[in-house]
Amino acid sequence: MPLYQYIVRRVLFAIPLVLGITVVAFLIANAIPADPINANLPQSALNNERLVQAFREKWGLDQPLHVQYLTYLGNLLRGDMGVSIRTNQPVLDDIRQFLPATVELATTSILVGLLLGVSFGIVSAVWRNSPVDYLVRVVALIGVSFPVFLLALIGLSVLHAQLGWTAGPGRLGFLVSRPPHVTGLYTVDALLAGQWATLRDALWHLVLPSLVLGMYVSGIIARITRSSLLEVLSSDYIRTARAKGQREAFVILRHGLSNALIPVVTLLGVLYGNLLAGAVLTEAIFAWPGIGRYAYRASTSQDFPAIMGVSMLIAFIYVVANFIVDFLYFFIDPRIRYA
Amino acid sequence: MKLKPAASTRAIGALFLGAIVALALWGTTLAQETIVIGHAEITEAYDPAHAFNPTSGMVNRIAYDTLVTFPDADASAIEPLLATSWTISDDGLTYTFTLRDDVTFVDGSPLTAEDVVFSFDRLKNVKAQPSFLADPIASLAAIGERTVAITLTAVRPSFLAELANTAFSVTHAATVRANGGTDAADAAETDTAQAYLNQTSAGTGPYILESWSPQDRTVLVRNPDYWGEAPFFDRVIIVNIPEAATQRVALVAGNVDLATDLTPDQVVALEGNDDIGIYLGPGRWTHFLLMNRDPEVGGPMANPLVAQAVRHALDYQGYRDLWAGSVTPGSNMWVGLAGAFGQDQAMERDLERARALMAEAGYADGFEVTMHYADLTWAGVSLSTNAQKIQSDLAEIGIAVRLLPGEVQVALEGYRNGTQGLGYWFWGPDKLDPVDFLEFLPGGKVSGERARWTPEMIDEATRALIARAGVETDADERMAIFAQLQDYAQQDSAFAPFSVPAVQTAFRADIEGYVWHPQWGLDIALLSRK
Repeated sequence: MPLYQYIVRRVLFAIPLVLGITVVAFLIANAIPADPINANLPQSALNNERLVQAFREKWGLDQPLHVQYLTYLGNLLRGDMGVSIRTNQPVLDDIRQFLPATVELATTSILVGLLLGVSFGIVSAVWRNSPVDYLVRVVALIGVSFPVFLLALIGLSVLHAQLGWTAGPGRLGFLVSRPPHVTGLYTVDALLAGQWATLRDALWHLVLPSLVLGMYVSGIIARITRSSLLEVLSSDYIRTARAKGQREAFVILRHGLSNALIPVVTLLGVLYGNLLAGAVLTEAIFAWPGIGRYAYRASTSQDFPAIMGVSMLIAFIYVVANFIVDFLYFFIDPRIRYA
Repeated sequence: MKLKPAASTRAIGALFLGAIVALALWGTTLAQETIVIGHAEITEAYDPAHAFNPTSGMVNRIAYDTLVTFPDADASAIEPLLATSWTISDDGLTYTFTLRDDVTFVDGSPLTAEDVVFSFDRLKNVKAQPSFLADPIASLAAIGERTVAITLTAVRPSFLAELANTAFSVTHAATVRANGGTDAADAAETDTAQAYLNQTSAGTGPYILESWSPQDRTVLVRNPDYWGEAPFFDRVIIVNIPEAATQRVALVAGNVDLATDLTPDQVVALEGNDDIGIYLGPGRWTHFLLMNRDPEVGGPMANPLVAQAVRHALDYQGYRDLWAGSVTPGSNMWVGLAGAFGQDQAMERDLERARALMAEAGYADGFEVTMHYADLTWAGVSLSTNAQKIQSDLAEIGIAVRLLPGEVQVALEGYRNGTQGLGYWFWGPDKLDPVDFLEFLPGGKVSGERARWTPEMIDEATRALIARAGVETDADERMAIFAQLQDYAQQDSAFAPFSVPAVQTAFRADIEGYVWHPQWGLDIALLSRK
């Protein structure tokens, strides 16, 4: 099957998935025994029947559930994700506002995690059962099991407040003005505007949170890389390569690693999705105005349009991430053909 | 004259030095004073007609002005702001305000009565979060350029206190209209000015909203044409730091000048740090005992003499020692309200009198009773700690208290249904007006539903006094009535208020002028740097 057909098929499959997510999100959000009125109107306004009625009518909460859902779906098919009850802004605008911060952090974190994790994995596989291996495995275990928010707090109070080695909370220094909005990624926007000091400050502020999130990612990647590489290194073609007299480093990196990375790549899609969708606590501690906090606030205030919007976004991110991962296989492992 | 080389070098050197000094001086005079405030942002809007939360209260306090306001630190009086004076009609329904004549909006237009009418009508008709505040308004009228008449649907003595809320900020009608605003009856559907007013302010306050990046930061700049006293800082940056722990780090590291959301234990831990200043002042919660007047529920606690004995038995000084900065309230009327009895008028411990009252009630040998309370720490005060102290205080007059802490929601259920004979609770005023106290007198909800203390249990004269307190609008008359009611409550009440714990805030040591206010929290225009 030609590649473009494969892509079209994947996209078509994604549509029912995302729509299914809207049904599930809608049902779960409505199953919570709480009234959005309580979450969105002040106590004194709740006694005012006229105001409560106006609120219900405005947000369509006076309609039966299936009507509410079908109305939402109808609007969605016309490309309208609705207006957030809480912010009173189009959900799409809200997502545009908060997603870039999270994308920026998740991307640097996954890069840091990949770099550290693969390096740790190689070291630990090559020097298997040596003290280095044990050390790396312990570090990896800590990375995976140590609560990320605690690591974040310790990082801030020691590395920033006491030692001054890293930047403080936030995406930029509190006194630094924001670069003109193009992509919402401060690093890219600063680069486009040629604001070098702002670019440096944005990168500087990415260091600590990326290290903290990267630690977690690297722990997982290191373990997978190690076991996968060990398996590959004991296979026949590695023995053949060595028998040909190739240098050990070349054997490990060219023949070993490129094959051992397949499970790592599989994992990357899931890990990147996790970083985008699940960094609520880290975002809170680093005062990082991202989509995780937005999703959290949407769910606590029963903001249905926002909850649905974020759910679809996250589903979409997982679909795209896995799509990219499948594509990467294609390049890493020539045996894989799409059918 | 020809200078020798050495001399010319010196001259050039002096010239340079002079230039540097001049530049430095010029630099200091032009240096922008900026304050950075770490704050857990919870607002979704800054448009005064849509915003109703501590964040928007703090920002709109300095971006806008209201007709009337409170003193800097409490709600002990109603003070003029945009209105120089006001009169209340004899039927208590119409309030007529005279506006200042020297006030301009940020675009230079003068403040007119029309702007007030537009702002309040818009608040009412957008039917947003704070709109309930404008609901008692029946009609608004601009009489000439500088007089506004507001007619209410019913007598409402708390109206002036409610007008001090930043929801009643006066916006420039023309600017708001030009940006999609309307005060028409269908404003809930047709007004689109929120997006504009979330990014800039159209007010008369000491600062102008310059930008807002939600969940990130809010920037305000000084209003150069402000009609009142110019504030110290040129620029205010409020950064969103949701976690208290991060706020503490940012404060200690000097990234922020002031942190608004530290927990009391964090503030205590900062004591002794020379770089950090701490503010302590009475908070908005009154802690009190409830003694149910229904003998079926309250048992001996239902006896007014026992209730009086309890008020004499509590060791008020002990609670002040327990919680730094706390004060003893004179009644269930929150200490910061107009006419409220403060610590100087509060009850004092008198064990002899308390024991005599117990004997008079027929309980010379005491009795056993269960005390309900919620097992929680509220605004830094552990209810369990206070409960143990109450237990030992009352043991002195023969009342053996069994403590029954409960999960908050469970304990609240019993409190709201009036099934607790003896309960320990706390209360913050719903509106910053003396009428809030009526909750704790017969006829009030708290009194009737939770303590079963109802109007037929008190004498005719007191009933009449309570009725008058609910409708009297003359300020002096009100103070007299509420003083009498507080006197009464010290003699006969189903409640025993004993503590108003402090609020605590930490800031960099060079920041001066911090005051906490129950309405807007922090007034940034009062702050300065040493």
